[in-house]
Amino acid sequence: MTTKKRNIPSFEHLIDKARIIRKHVIQMVSQHGQGYIQQGLGAADLFTYLYFHELNLSPQKLDNPQRDRFILSTAHNTAVFYATLAEAGFFETEKLQQYCMDESTLEINASERLDGLVECTCGSLGQGLSVACGLALGLKKANNPARIFVMLGDGELEEGQLWEAVLFAAAHNLKNLIMLIDLNYMQVEGDVRCVTKIDPVDKKFEAFGWQQQIVDGHDFEQIFSAFSKLDNSGNAPTAIIAQTIPGKGIDFLEGQKSHNMILPTAVAAKALQQLEKK
Amino acid sequence: MKKQNDKAISSADLHLEDFSTKKGKGATTKPYGEALYAAAKKDKNITILCADLTAATETDIVRDYLPEQFIMCGIAEANMVGVAAGLSRSGLIPFIHSFSVFLTRRSFDQIAMQIAYPNLNIKLIGFMPGIDSLLGVSHQATDDIALMRALPNMTIIEPCDPSEYSSAVNAALNCDGPVYLRLNKNCPKVPARYPLSMVERGKFDLIKSGTDAAIFASGLCVQEAIEAAENLENDGLSVAVINAASIKPLDIQMIKEMAARTHCIITAENHSIIGGLGSAVSEVLAEAGLAVRFKRIGLRDCFAEGGSRDYLFNKYGLGARHIMQAVHALKRDKNG
Repeated sequence: MTTKKRNIPSFEHLIDKARIIRKHVIQMVSQHGQGYIQQGLGAADLFTYLYFHELNLSPQKLDNPQRDRFILSTAHNTAVFYATLAEAGFFETEKLQQYCMDESTLEINASERLDGLVECTCGSLGQGLSVACGLALGLKKANNPARIFVMLGDGELEEGQLWEAVLFAAAHNLKNLIMLIDLNYMQVEGDVRCVTKIDPVDKKFEAFGWQQQIVDGHDFEQIFSAFSKLDNSGNAPTAIIAQTIPGKGIDFLEGQKSHNMILPTAVAAKALQQLEKK
Repeated sequence: MKKQNDKAISSADLHLEDFSTKKGKGATTKPYGEALYAAAKKDKNITILCADLTAATETDIVRDYLPEQFIMCGIAEANMVGVAAGLSRSGLIPFIHSFSVFLTRRSFDQIAMQIAYPNLNIKLIGFMPGIDSLLGVSHQATDDIALMRALPNMTIIEPCDPSEYSSAVNAALNCDGPVYLRLNKNCPKVPARYPLSMVERGKFDLIKSGTDAAIFASGLCVQEAIEAAENLENDGLSVAVINAASIKPLDIQMIKEMAARTHCIITAENHSIIGGLGSAVSEVLAEAGLAVRFKRIGLRDCFAEGGSRDYLFNKYGLGARHIMQAVHALKRDKNG
């Protein structure tokens, strides 16, 4: 794991990138009425932070064996994922218009058909962390300094396999593994807390031998600070628990817990207005 | 004063299970474990994963002699499959181990998504398949072949004799993709008068020729098929026995040849008659338009129970005498 001195990002730059990515999310999902708006808007700041500051990953060196790996366990949250990849230069932004179209590699659930940009095909929830564990262990054995990032939703904490992997990661000292939990308290059925009891999430990971931090998933300074405060001296894997708000950035969408929201064109236009540069 | 028989029980009295591995003289025969050890010693990328069952899956040898290539995953098969996928993507060649039933039935979605779909070079090793288990219905993989066959990219190999385990490991390694090996502990030996060929992906082995009927058998049922065929000779019937070790892909050429020669095909497998070798062979026959007498020997769409191998094979109709009855019935129908 790298211990290089950490550069302080330009928070203004990140805020502006996140604004542009949110615009793509609205446009992509309203175009064909396919995709996930609330989740995309909610996680836009996390994706922006990862791809514009944290990940050692470059479009020019996609096959770099020492690249950081990013696994999207919530593989359906693709509008924001693809928008981020395009803005970060992994492909042209025009390609985003193919989102969810037949033959397109920009499928609603991210698959390896998007060659080189999807480290493993998730979508069946609860599987991403296990693969991340295997990658982390394999690369650690090879003394490869790459870090493995995996993003999952809080609804995934309901999957049994997830906890098998949580045990495994701590038992095998996977300090090169960083999990981001998008804690938006939203799943298909509505509020996660109405479905089951997942709190206290931080205490659970602490008890399982992980180092963990809770952050405001819309505050770049807090997110950066959480990554800066990671203790590299021990062997514990890391959980960053990011509290996010579904629909963040659009006042009439914020906090609406809808898994499959459809945005009519006129409403989408109003949302886009709110994302114009002020 | 204490009586002699009141003396404290020592651990020697308890017959504690020995989890250490002894190699060489006096050691338990572990044909798979030895073959895996030999392969892993040659190729440092081979990484062995096990879900708590090292002795039962013969991986205790690599655990003790190649510890840097061994990863204990605990009783968590679904996670083990995902971990194997990650290891494979980091450049290693994982071999994952459990009982067949837990590996395939419990982790089916994980195998489909993380191994079969990306066509990763991972070997799945399942022990105690079919009704080869005293432990009852929870431990009996009677649908594992059906499950694995349905997955694109998956190869399935089931050797029938301990001497084949080494070539089965090599056949798995020679295939750059997922392979499911279906293995037995204490697998009985095929009589020495039937020399076996090396196990090869996509190849069957004609171990006894015959012209009146052909039995395509796999795993433990090969022994039963040989016994049946030898007894049928006494009844004046010339019956071929084929070791169908490569269940996917099949040896289509061999199936067509035997169908053309005998017009009477029997399949025998330690598995459900639905979705296994019998289904696979019948699909080939039907699509080739080959009209033959045909019978599947296997579990007839039922769950079994805990019991000894011999008892269960007899009760559920997988034994030599059931195969003989099937051949006789087919020949009677044909002549009648």
